[in-house]
Amino acid sequence: MTGLPLALTAFGLMLSGVFLRVPIALAMGLTGFFGTWYVIGTPAGPMAQMKTLTYETFSNQGLAIIPLFLLMGQVATRTGMSAALFRAASDWLGHKRGGIAMAAVGACAGFGAICGSSLATASTMGQVALPEMRKRGYSDALSTGVLAAGGTLGILIPPSIILVLYAILAEQNIVKMFTAALLPGLLAAIGYMITVAIYVRLRPEAGPVGPRKPWSERWSTLIATWPVFAIFGLTIGGIIGDWNWSKPGDQALFTPNEAAAFGAVATTLYGFFGGKLNLSGLLESFLETAKATAMIFFILLGAEVFKGFLALTRAPDQLAGWVLEQGLAPMLVLTAMLLCYLVFGCVMESLSMILLTVPIFLPVIEALDFGMSAEQTAIWFGILALIVVEVGLITPPVGMNLFILNGVAPDIRIGRTYAGVAPFILSDLLRVALLVNFPAITLWLVSMIG
Amino acid sequence: MRGLIRANSGTDVTEKTAGRVGVLVEAGARALAWLGGAILLALAAMTVLSILGRALDGFGLSALRGDYEMVANGCALAVFFFLPWCQLKRGHVTVDILTDRFPPRVQALFGLMGDLLITLASIVILRQLWFGFGEKFPYGSDGLRAVLGMGYKPFYPETTYELQIPVWTLYATALVGAAMMVLVGLYTVGRAVRWVRDGQEGTP
Repeated sequence: MTGLPLALTAFGLMLSGVFLRVPIALAMGLTGFFGTWYVIGTPAGPMAQMKTLTYETFSNQGLAIIPLFLLMGQVATRTGMSAALFRAASDWLGHKRGGIAMAAVGACAGFGAICGSSLATASTMGQVALPEMRKRGYSDALSTGVLAAGGTLGILIPPSIILVLYAILAEQNIVKMFTAALLPGLLAAIGYMITVAIYVRLRPEAGPVGPRKPWSERWSTLIATWPVFAIFGLTIGGIIGDWNWSKPGDQALFTPNEAAAFGAVATTLYGFFGGKLNLSGLLESFLETAKATAMIFFILLGAEVFKGFLALTRAPDQLAGWVLEQGLAPMLVLTAMLLCYLVFGCVMESLSMILLTVPIFLPVIEALDFGMSAEQTAIWFGILALIVVEVGLITPPVGMNLFILNGVAPDIRIGRTYAGVAPFILSDLLRVALLVNFPAITLWLVSMIG
Repeated sequence: MRGLIRANSGTDVTEKTAGRVGVLVEAGARALAWLGGAILLALAAMTVLSILGRALDGFGLSALRGDYEMVANGCALAVFFFLPWCQLKRGHVTVDILTDRFPPRVQALFGLMGDLLITLASIVILRQLWFGFGEKFPYGSDGLRAVLGMGYKPFYPETTYELQIPVWTLYATALVGAAMMVLVGLYTVGRAVRWVRDGQEGTP
């Protein structure tokens, strides 16, 4: 067996392993290892590769940003920033029908701007906002649904761990990827707020009206959220903004790694000086960072081995050639791929899905003519893939965000959460359709920074 | 229920040893993870200093030399130190949607399979990393190197580009994490066997 059939067989074996609870990283690594052995006829090759592969994968310059951003996010969950954000948003919106749910969306977006992980965003905001919404008589379905959906803003709004990985896989500039994600992320937050507004119009009892807060109080709680704006402005703004107008061209303040380092230090300092973070809290966030980082890097190592095997089979090129021969409409192929992500997203984990599929899907997408440059196509596809993969976090049966909300409030039946999140999934799908049909939404800001 | 009763009996000698080993392994893995976190934060602080130096280059300061190299290699070492903790806490992602429908004992059996495979993989990683170390380590007599399986002696110590750090020191530090991962792996296999015997998985 060679080429495409071999790759497909390996893929099938790997997936069956995954469904038998073999850790995903291992399923990829083992399939890649034995596949390479099968192709070149000896285990010596992949074994010799392993002498340096582990260290070289872990010390990849472009990956250093991941543990740093994870540390920043973990520390941020212990600094009270999430509570300050929610307080401000609910003071501004609480008197509207469904206002606290909209405030939760806004606070999630704000927290997503300093945290690159959906799960951390959902759990932190869940702990802050869920008790408040229940106290004010919001329905269980709306409260958990909006927070599960809001959690996905953590990874949509930069910094975003998945975008870092995509940029490395697709050999794209991470700064441009982050820039491209800004407007779709903002659109997501607005879409969720509109969804809440429609929801409470149809079911007014789900989101009762609260008292109107005086302007002085609104401004003072808003001002209390300054660290979030300062840190986001300096980290993400620092890498995509122009900080020196006297010189021609874009002068960024930081490289991406530097921005992540700055963010981690700034968040830690704010935590200590704000009095919310102590040594044991810091050590606790080290352990959480350790778990998340090791999980991601182990998957990366497995994916590296698998990618080597895939390249040996030449299956990605063959698949791209085959798709071209069929003369299918580019949009049809793209839609099929996005549907594929949606279906698999219901049961698979998002990070591994990106790592597994991008080496196969991207050559096909790049071979098709969407009327854009290769770079633009790759950036646009990355954002679309990120969004549909994220939908998987809130679709039953395996939506990690749903489980996290269930963990925060175990007395709410998971069925209520499933019902509550449905309108937000609809909003996600509408947004994907919009971004597919209008690539300019994604690419406009990128073209601005050149 | 049976699982709970057995786990609480505590008079079993193997149970006691496992408990003591468990405490040790957990303490070791946690300490290593803390160290990794401290390395990360230190790298971040160093980077901020370097940025400040660069920003103030008009005042005779400058960016720290080799800051990029330090971040990349320091992060790699931190990842090696993080891996044992992740395995101990069963942090590696699995898809449980199918196996959740099986009885608890069968679930525990699949968990055991996962732990076993991870441990085998860690042994391969440790072994190959050792060989990789041998190929970067330019010292030792040929006889001793042959006994330790370190392969051909390189002619000179390979170093990093800017700071001239010998690469073998980095590999040697990484070996600490890789070795701890094998130890933790072996412990988790024993733990998984006990969970299968009890008919139910405990909290990692």
